[in-house]
Amino acid sequence: MSSCPWQIIRKVIQILNKYILPLYGRRRKRHQEVNMAENEKRCVITGLGMINAIGNTVDESWNNCINGVSGIKEVRSIDTGSCYSHMGAEAAPNFDVEAGEDADKMDRVSLLCVKAANEAVADSGIIIDDSNADRVGVVMGSCVGGAVSIQKFFTDKENEEGSEDAADIIKMPIGVIANNVAKLVGAKGVVTNVGNACAASTISIEYACDLIRAGVGDAFIVGGADSFSALAFGGFTALHAIDTEPCSPYNKSKGITLGEGAGALVVESYEHAKARGAKIYCDVLGGGISSDAHHITAPRPDSEGQMNAMKRALANSNVKPQDIDYINGHATGTPLNDSTEIQAMQMIFGDNENTAVDSTKSMVGHCLGAAGAVEAIYTVKALTTNTVPPTIGYSDEDLVNLKEKAGKLDFMPNVKKEKNIEYAMTNNFAFGGNNASVIFSKHEHDIKPLENNKVYVTGFGLVSPVGNSIEAYIEAVKNGGVKAGENGLLASVGTEDYKEHEIKLAFYRKLDKLSQTQVVSGRSCLKNSGVTVNDDNAVDIGMIIGTADGPSTEIISFHEGLIKNGLQAGSAFIFPNTVYNAAGGYLSINSGVKGVNVTLTNGMQSGLQSICYAYNVVRDGEEKMMMACGLDENTDTMKLLYDKLGYFSKDGSAKPYGFNGKEFVLGEGSTSMMLESEASADERGAVKYAEIAGYAMTHEPVCVGTLAGSDAALDKAIIKACENAGISPDDIDGIVGFGDGNTTVDTIEMNSYKRVFSSGKPVFSVKTIVGEARAAAATLQAVHAALTLSGKLPANQNAYVFEDNKDAEITVDTSDYKYMLVTSFAAGGSYTAVVLKKVI
Amino acid sequence: MDAKQTEIAEKIKKILVENLRIPAEELDYEIELFGDGIGLDSIDSLEIIAGIDQEFGVQMTGVAKENFYNIEALSKYVMEHMED
Repeated sequence: MSSCPWQIIRKVIQILNKYILPLYGRRRKRHQEVNMAENEKRCVITGLGMINAIGNTVDESWNNCINGVSGIKEVRSIDTGSCYSHMGAEAAPNFDVEAGEDADKMDRVSLLCVKAANEAVADSGIIIDDSNADRVGVVMGSCVGGAVSIQKFFTDKENEEGSEDAADIIKMPIGVIANNVAKLVGAKGVVTNVGNACAASTISIEYACDLIRAGVGDAFIVGGADSFSALAFGGFTALHAIDTEPCSPYNKSKGITLGEGAGALVVESYEHAKARGAKIYCDVLGGGISSDAHHITAPRPDSEGQMNAMKRALANSNVKPQDIDYINGHATGTPLNDSTEIQAMQMIFGDNENTAVDSTKSMVGHCLGAAGAVEAIYTVKALTTNTVPPTIGYSDEDLVNLKEKAGKLDFMPNVKKEKNIEYAMTNNFAFGGNNASVIFSKHEHDIKPLENNKVYVTGFGLVSPVGNSIEAYIEAVKNGGVKAGENGLLASVGTEDYKEHEIKLAFYRKLDKLSQTQVVSGRSCLKNSGVTVNDDNAVDIGMIIGTADGPSTEIISFHEGLIKNGLQAGSAFIFPNTVYNAAGGYLSINSGVKGVNVTLTNGMQSGLQSICYAYNVVRDGEEKMMMACGLDENTDTMKLLYDKLGYFSKDGSAKPYGFNGKEFVLGEGSTSMMLESEASADERGAVKYAEIAGYAMTHEPVCVGTLAGSDAALDKAIIKACENAGISPDDIDGIVGFGDGNTTVDTIEMNSYKRVFSSGKPVFSVKTIVGEARAAAATLQAVHAALTLSGKLPANQNAYVFEDNKDAEITVDTSDYKYMLVTSFAAGGSYTAVVLKKVI
Repeated sequence: MDAKQTEIAEKIKKILVENLRIPAEELDYEIELFGDGIGLDSIDSLEIIAGIDQEFGVQMTGVAKENFYNIEALSKYVMEHMED
């Protein structure tokens, strides 16, 4: 902590006056000039569900929370004997949960999430059936996902090679959590997961509102979950960030106490809730998401990023700082986090007469990816019962110290308080420098009008097995790409890339291959788009990164260290890279972009879901530019996992649409695509390669890790995406498809096209060139479409046409193409379709 | 540096290369590790402390900054505090 906080605060005021406030002024002015969209729908909370260290239900947990009951005890689920701290806030070891026939296919993280989701759905009274399932989605956040299953798999493998269970592999990724919930509740709308570590589930709430306001769905079950894990405990132990005593944030803590649990909220459009006579807890107004562009674990000393998130939430909610009666803080308990957060709140709310701030983490610990949801639920309960929970752990001496730093803020030491609350805010900040704030209101309140911008593709960045530029990809399309070997297809980033973008060794050596790949791809995208990031535009640029497998290699490498050397000996160097949003965080740090920064994960199609999310952000006017990215890697670890599942093509011979087995050629890389508002693109004279005309995300719940039986969802995705683009499916000129060589996958795709289109459409394949690069391939499919529509690729291209249950390869002339469709899938039954339109 | 210190320095260099992904060719015993040289930060220092504890059984938590200046300084500290 600094010895002279006032100097820092003065400096922050200077920065604010110089850079931030003018930007907000300009942003607001811009809104007055545009046509208002009909998309400022009221979003309301109609259901709550929760499990954590102080309760298995919302009522139990809330009652304990307001009475200051601590859930922090000696850790029991993992052996912490070798570590310097033994404190944790674990949920009940066993709990009743209706998880259906797939219960044994779920990691503890999914069971916790399902438990909370079931409660929230029951609480809301929503009946999900054929009449509305397509309009109900699930968005869940997590930090460590199936870390317990990862630990089990690799411990088994270490103890006896070959004894590891392939069934554990499908429990590992974050990506399966929302699918597990969707299958149980029968949701068939947008299904995805947010991987932004400790801000993940806060973002899930905001994204649900975005989707409702975009007309994409009527109700969403959102929130998140994390289980107590060796990964998190070993990681924070390595960082010396765990307190030996129960944490008491904003007070005297020297670190966090890890928790676990899940929180789920039903976010619904007011119209939908009203029509079914639902009980309404409160309104969700606006949210704010920002990136620090500073450090992978430490917050900015000037608190700018945290303040940006809070100010965005206030501006988007159309409320003033003095309107906020209660803030549920992020409040982790590390001295640096607490002091920068207090500084941020003092800057924005310090003049308020009566703003209450608390840390419910003092009772439930840091639930990581579930923290945002758990704390949002406490915020909603506080708002609706006019009761602010306490922050526990203050001694008499602490109370004296508190007076010095509290100013006018009321930090609620030790005892709850009854007070009238009209507006409440909850904040969460994550590794990677991601910040998220969201505001709840007791009453209807008009939010800031949203824009309705046209969105164009204005640039590309690529790291791929055929080279690290769009030119290299175009060449590869012309000459058929490279031949896969026994390790599949591999991309590489190296000295030349770092030199080109002036990325220093001191920076890139810290990154795992996945993050290095994304940084180079993102920097290339900015360069290719002609964008130089500076103080004026940094907050106008953001990114959505989609990834199927995230940093699995780094996560597993960290686990192997724990298994080999003990829980006390985890690598402080590797741990920060194990969060799914590390790649996005590093790109923000390296490029300086400070806008919306979200990582989505739900299988291969994550690389198209990133486009849908980024499109929304630009269309609504939240950012001028968004990089939509897809990212996945092919390493020995990924090879091991895909081989164990029987998908890895060992001789590189598997071909998309070959219909002769379940294997595919594993590829890797990162694809980044710049999406930009028409006004921004025109203002700076950017090249417009294509327009994003429409999209749809659908789901047909099937058994986790499988796809068969989900065909109907692909049909719906295509039909809806065309509908949203204002065209009929038959207006589509060509499709960039997702077939990868796995017969189940390719057959579902082929049959869907036969049902949806009245005549055979040419299907282009990027996976014949870069392999099954998962999310990277999905985004590349959209890039391929944009390059085709803009004439950057040769007009004559090879394509597949499906007839009589087999495919024929033909050459087609694309020069008159006006609309192209891009499709992708995820195991579990999720599909995304995007329509791109030629710019005339 | 005598033979014993050189041997320790070589092991520390290996820790830096393997645990902190610093290319071996960038490292000699004199180059400044933090600040302008290799650009290590506080997380790296945790990793160095853990690596030295594991390799030599020498505790460096809370030890003065100058002992982390370069590999030579680290190896000197380790040599002076190693139990034979």
